[in-house]
Amino acid sequence: MIRVAAVGDVHVDKDVVGRYRPALDQLSEVADALLIAGDLTRHGTVDEARCFTQEFGGLGVPVVVVLGNHDHQSDQQDAVAEVITDAGITVLEGTSTVLELNGHRLGVAGVKGFGGGFAGACASNFGEQEMKAFVNTTEVIAERLQSALQEADCDALVALTHYAPVPETLNGEPLEIYPFLGCYQLGRAIDSAPTMLALHGHAHHGSERGRTPGGVPVRNVAHPVIKQAYNVYQLLSAETAADLVGV
Amino acid sequence: MTNQLDLEAEIQRLLTEHASTAEQGITVQRRENMLILGGEVESAQRRDEICRQISAHFPDVEITCDIGITRAQAPTDVEEIS
Repeated sequence: MIRVAAVGDVHVDKDVVGRYRPALDQLSEVADALLIAGDLTRHGTVDEARCFTQEFGGLGVPVVVVLGNHDHQSDQQDAVAEVITDAGITVLEGTSTVLELNGHRLGVAGVKGFGGGFAGACASNFGEQEMKAFVNTTEVIAERLQSALQEADCDALVALTHYAPVPETLNGEPLEIYPFLGCYQLGRAIDSAPTMLALHGHAHHGSERGRTPGGVPVRNVAHPVIKQAYNVYQLLSAETAADLVGV
Repeated sequence: MTNQLDLEAEIQRLLTEHASTAEQGITVQRRENMLILGGEVESAQRRDEICRQISAHFPDVEITCDIGITRAQAPTDVEEIS
């Protein structure tokens, strides 16, 4: 059994330090790892990254993150990732990591992702250079997720993104902004590997549950969606943890 | 003068692009004589700053703030993925 805690869109700055900590101090009792689906900071500054590591560091379990669009706002995403990495937290971007947990290998492959829209209402690689650059960005990122998923040698594989891979978990958001919230190419990448669970954030008004076209469970763990410090997902076991109630 | 059709768009861009707010998840709904702000943020300071910015930039607009603070308690359940 592996228990994975997850949250996204925590947007840490000085005013948030300490808010999550009471719940995080209990995390190692109910989960084996914490995955965070981007938007770790408000503006993507180094100072905010330090606030994030102060809040989410030293939990006693591995922490794996991807960056979100907010973490790119100040064009300091490399420095932000460095601060977070130096704090012992794994930052994924087109890469994967394998964690040894309870005798099982948990593989996590992650990218930030990007927009583009979904089947029947998506952007195409056509027309102005700006539009082609937009769609090319989407496709390059999705291809990197696909490679990262396929190379992970593990017993349970999780995809971690900021942008959504399916439209179902955007339900509640205005339909007009779906192309800015995710893209079908991420879902296709997730379906190209034996992915057990896909986690994303970004859609604060979205819905919690969906599935890819290939049937992989998708969970929107944006903090305003799950409305608690983190959710816990149990993989590789029919047994429910004794200290939590199964749902 | 900003017309009503542009007002909601201008407020949403202000809340996203202004460094003191940087919020993309705030909804703006129009009622007869007021705008109602919705959504959730991470702190009371952020909620108050949103209202302060709108009042400063659009002093003639009456706003009602229904913005909540996202709870951050520990979970009491686990979901089994199969």
